[in-house]
Amino acid sequence: MSIERTNATDSDEPSGANAPNRTTGERAAGATDASDLDASDLDAEGLVLGYPTAPEPVVDGASIAAEPGAVTALVGPNGSGKSTLLKGLANQLAPEDGSVLLDGRDVHSMDTKALARKLGLLSQESTSPDSITVEDLVHHGRYPHRGFFERTTEADARAVDRAIELAGCGHLRDREVGSLSGGQKQLAWIAMVLAQDTDVLLLDEPTTFLDLHHQMEVMEIIETLRDESDVTVVVVLHDIEQAARLADRMVALKDGEIRARGAPGEVVTEELLADVFRVDTDVVQTENGPRVTPLRARHEGSE
Amino acid sequence: MSGERSAVGGGASTSRSAGTDRFGWLLDPKLVSVAVGSLAVVVVAGLVQVSFGAYSMTVGEAWRAVLDPAVLLDPRWLLNFLVGEELMRAITGFQGELPELSHGTLIVWNIRLPRVIVGAIVGMNLGVSGAIFQAVTRNELASPFILGVSSGAGLMILLTLVVFGGLSAFLPLIAALGGAVAFLIVYAIAWKNGTSPVRLVLAGVIVGTVFGSLQTALFFFADDIGVVQSAIQWTTGSLTGTDWAQVRLALPWTVVAVLLSIAGSRQLNLLLLGEQTAKSLGMSIERVRFALSGVAVLAAAASIAVAGIVSFVGLIVPHMVRNLVGSDYKRLIVGCLFVGPALMVAADVGARLGMSVLTGADAQIPVGIVTGLVGGPYFLYLMRRRQNMGEL
Repeated sequence: MSIERTNATDSDEPSGANAPNRTTGERAAGATDASDLDASDLDAEGLVLGYPTAPEPVVDGASIAAEPGAVTALVGPNGSGKSTLLKGLANQLAPEDGSVLLDGRDVHSMDTKALARKLGLLSQESTSPDSITVEDLVHHGRYPHRGFFERTTEADARAVDRAIELAGCGHLRDREVGSLSGGQKQLAWIAMVLAQDTDVLLLDEPTTFLDLHHQMEVMEIIETLRDESDVTVVVVLHDIEQAARLADRMVALKDGEIRARGAPGEVVTEELLADVFRVDTDVVQTENGPRVTPLRARHEGSE
Repeated sequence: MSGERSAVGGGASTSRSAGTDRFGWLLDPKLVSVAVGSLAVVVVAGLVQVSFGAYSMTVGEAWRAVLDPAVLLDPRWLLNFLVGEELMRAITGFQGELPELSHGTLIVWNIRLPRVIVGAIVGMNLGVSGAIFQAVTRNELASPFILGVSSGAGLMILLTLVVFGGLSAFLPLIAALGGAVAFLIVYAIAWKNGTSPVRLVLAGVIVGTVFGSLQTALFFFADDIGVVQSAIQWTTGSLTGTDWAQVRLALPWTVVAVLLSIAGSRQLNLLLLGEQTAKSLGMSIERVRFALSGVAVLAAAASIAVAGIVSFVGLIVPHMVRNLVGSDYKRLIVGCLFVGPALMVAADVGARLGMSVLTGADAQIPVGIVTGLVGGPYFLYLMRRRQNMGEL
């Protein structure tokens, strides 16, 4: 199963399993046949996404394939279309062109609940009534697994327990969401999306605004998911170093186009950061992944 | 770190088993006390209503009339009231004269008790309707009439009374239908590849403004003071003159609306998490939103058909209940079924007897005036006590 494909310009490639494997990533070889295993495969082709109020599409012809059972990080400056791309992948935004295939099926034609059983999305800003308890919030994650009149089952309770444990918010279980700190809230929301028990998980800036401790908590949760449950994760991250440490693959976006993709070592380079983020940096490879030291912002015409 | 995590998680993992009783949540102590308290208010206010009036009795006499075994133990009389004489005869096959009732019992059961029951039904409908609309628009200040229902109904009431006087026998149905049609117009205006709470509220304002103007214009053309008074009664909400016919008219729709809203409480809870979350959990949000709004309009229309446009009840009741039992919609809806009637029946005491107590004049005022007088200060109290209001 091929993982990487370049932009829509050469999207005449056959979609699906026979596309040539252009990646040099170490995990990619191992994951070649992953679609036969449990891990799910999310594959977007020539995606054009926009909002009705904006004349220009925000994402213009992006093709992206999330490696099954691996973590793919989306990075890029503000307004580069990361969140929009994520919404497109989750069928929250109908594409103007292109398609998203989840295990070979077009997400747009899938029943919404069936899709929500396979693919979970945690948006950037989630709101809830203050008086709801963490446990009740997490129970909402079971929504797609229940029929209109069905009550909660043993399986629901197990999934909720597991999600709460995995997200490390057992001690918050009976607290009201309104009384939690930002970091604790985020853990509660992550537990909710984990209770959804999906094969694919899309996370939109799950670590933004969190303190270091909670950032690490979130990263550890994602690592656990990948290592133990074979979940395919696509995560938008602002912190390049964090993304490089966490992700198996990175995709860099700018102005709605994919500028680079590949293993973190290939993507996080001084040239790319200069191009995509318009900063001069000093990138040093360390055993904990690349270390990026920003030097100065580039201004128009300074090149 | 991870060791602590799993220990904590594991310890709490069995705190709620899946087999929680399906109706266990009903026994929530707060909900039970809300229900008991509200019932007490309904009973006391109801007793005041059946005791006083042109034919006054003592509370003891009123009690005895309400609990008169000649009615309560006679299914023919009960059916006669609840489903009407014809149906009663069809069901029981009884053709003779019904046994005679005492004077007090007749007055209580024929005139005063049905008014209390209609009030309770209206309170339930408005409370549930308001609760649903507050979730659908994710706005605490939403009322059953936020999506144009009241303006549609009001316009049709005026049209019927002023222009098509011959149709006034069908006024209740015309008013309810007018409200429903206005709601559909609001939805159509708000729709553009789907809709959103803000668009819906804005469309409601648009339709409300236009219909409100037309309604006022029609007032201008009414030349009979009786017509104007009747129109005011309908557009501010009144229980004057309601009897068993109104109970029969509203009860079936109320039962349907209440059952549907309880069934939909999980969807309502999910709507509170925001459109994005609801969508990513697989809810077909437009369908659910329209269906739930439809249920709320049904409830509001049922109350309009029997009592006109009673303001504020649908706005305050969900608020009070939310303060008491929390924002979980299962409990909220059930709470509204008790608090709504309590507020409405108590307010109707003021509407029916207030003027005669205050001025000695034997006049009734529309109950909507009393609910407005109570509702304003309640919101003032909320505003003072709480930092932020508005978004749910």
